[in-house]
Amino acid sequence: MKLRNLRGLLLPLLLIGAWELASRQDAAGAYAFVPLATIGDALVELLGNGELLVNLLASLARTSAGLALGIVGGVALGALMALSPLANRLVAPLFHALRQVPMLGWIPLIALWLGNGEASKLLIVSLAALYPMVLNTFEGLRQVDVRHREVGQVLALGRWQQLRLVLLPAALPSIATGVLQALAFAWVTAVGSELFLASGAGLGNLMMNAEAGARMEIIVICVLCIGLCGYLMTWLSTLLARRLLRWRPTR
Amino acid sequence: MSPFKALTWLVSPLALLALWAAVADAALFPANLLVPPLEVWRSFADLLATGELQEHLAGSLSRLSLGFAAGALAGLAFGTAMALSDTVEAYCAPLFHTLRQIPSIALIPMLVLLLGIDETFKVVIVAKTAFFPVALATVEGIRAIPRSHFEVAAVYRLRWPTLVARIALPAAVPAIVTGVRVALTRAWVVLVACELLAADSGLGQMIEMGRQMLRIDVVMVGVAITGVIGFALDFSLRRVERRLSGWQVAGR
Repeated sequence: MKLRNLRGLLLPLLLIGAWELASRQDAAGAYAFVPLATIGDALVELLGNGELLVNLLASLARTSAGLALGIVGGVALGALMALSPLANRLVAPLFHALRQVPMLGWIPLIALWLGNGEASKLLIVSLAALYPMVLNTFEGLRQVDVRHREVGQVLALGRWQQLRLVLLPAALPSIATGVLQALAFAWVTAVGSELFLASGAGLGNLMMNAEAGARMEIIVICVLCIGLCGYLMTWLSTLLARRLLRWRPTR
Repeated sequence: MSPFKALTWLVSPLALLALWAAVADAALFPANLLVPPLEVWRSFADLLATGELQEHLAGSLSRLSLGFAAGALAGLAFGTAMALSDTVEAYCAPLFHTLRQIPSIALIPMLVLLLGIDETFKVVIVAKTAFFPVALATVEGIRAIPRSHFEVAAVYRLRWPTLVARIALPAAVPAIVTGVRVALTRAWVVLVACELLAADSGLGQMIEMGRQMLRIDVVMVGVAITGVIGFALDFSLRRVERRLSGWQVAGR
């Protein structure tokens, strides 16, 4: 029985074995598929001189800053579009048109206008976070139960009270979904923007430098690090959202 | 909606266009940084007339279709196998869900080192991007089929190929189409990103060249076309999605 539970480990181990085998074939193999020992050494080296931590923290800081901007802007814009038909009619076409351009497609244009520095990256990351926030806030506010709105009207709530006491709490689960999506987008876009705009610190920059120097071991470590961090962030936010929203009766 | 109301949808795009033209006209910024809309239109017409645009577009789209077809079909096959067989799931699920966490963009430097910057690299990364959403949607779509369907199949003693082709796949089609739509949009984004970083042809390469030569007009044309293609792909699959879900509801 115990052995059966380990079946899932077979393929990953085979894959790692094949990688190691390929690295030992010849010089070309060792160049493309670096031996596991080298990856281990590189990990120790990167951890030792703090390079990994510095770049990881830079990427994380960029993601959080962009995410924060995107969430604030996205909730505000989404709420405006959901609550005011006039604003919706004026803003929505432009918003949906601009939304069609892939995030990374903006990079060359933004780089020409704002340069290769922090401002460009921050703008791109916050835009990536903005789209899902606007869409989910809009949907969440639109789908508020009519009966809840009516209660608000019966109690003669003002516009602001209606928003704060009825609409926003009802839209929170949808907004939380938006934050989860925005987080994933922001993380990928932060790393992606670092690949394109080679200045400053960040996991993407670390990878690009490693590519230029053909240091496959560093790239492997970065890729694993990016995947792991993305997974951990999503997992933590899901837990957090569930905990913060536990006051809501489940339907 | 009255025609007048429909016209209000055009207000904000037109306002932006007018503002852009006015600011460019007033020369608040250097002319090579803020190109007037008319000039962007002219370079679009130029690129179209010389056939340059079509060439880049054809390059990008052929890569997209090749990589996407390979990735989506593999995802469909793998997803079906994983949903229907406990053995396949036990062996593959952990690896699948681990690899799924790695964003395609992050794999670009690695694949460049492994495969070089030729066609193979782009097709492989598009296939990888398409594989995971389609496989995941297939698994979830088939898992969501009511047990009774499979019980009927067992009663009729349907054989495996029949079970897959006549019951599992048709019932899971709406979920799969949604997965395909997500996969296609992502594959397009990733392809353009790859071409921006490393390519000798394609829409992304056109944009990158424009950037290096400081031809903002070319960059803007490229960005706009990227958006239009992305929208067209998403829109057409949304239509398919709606048709299929209509068919499902009507069938029940």
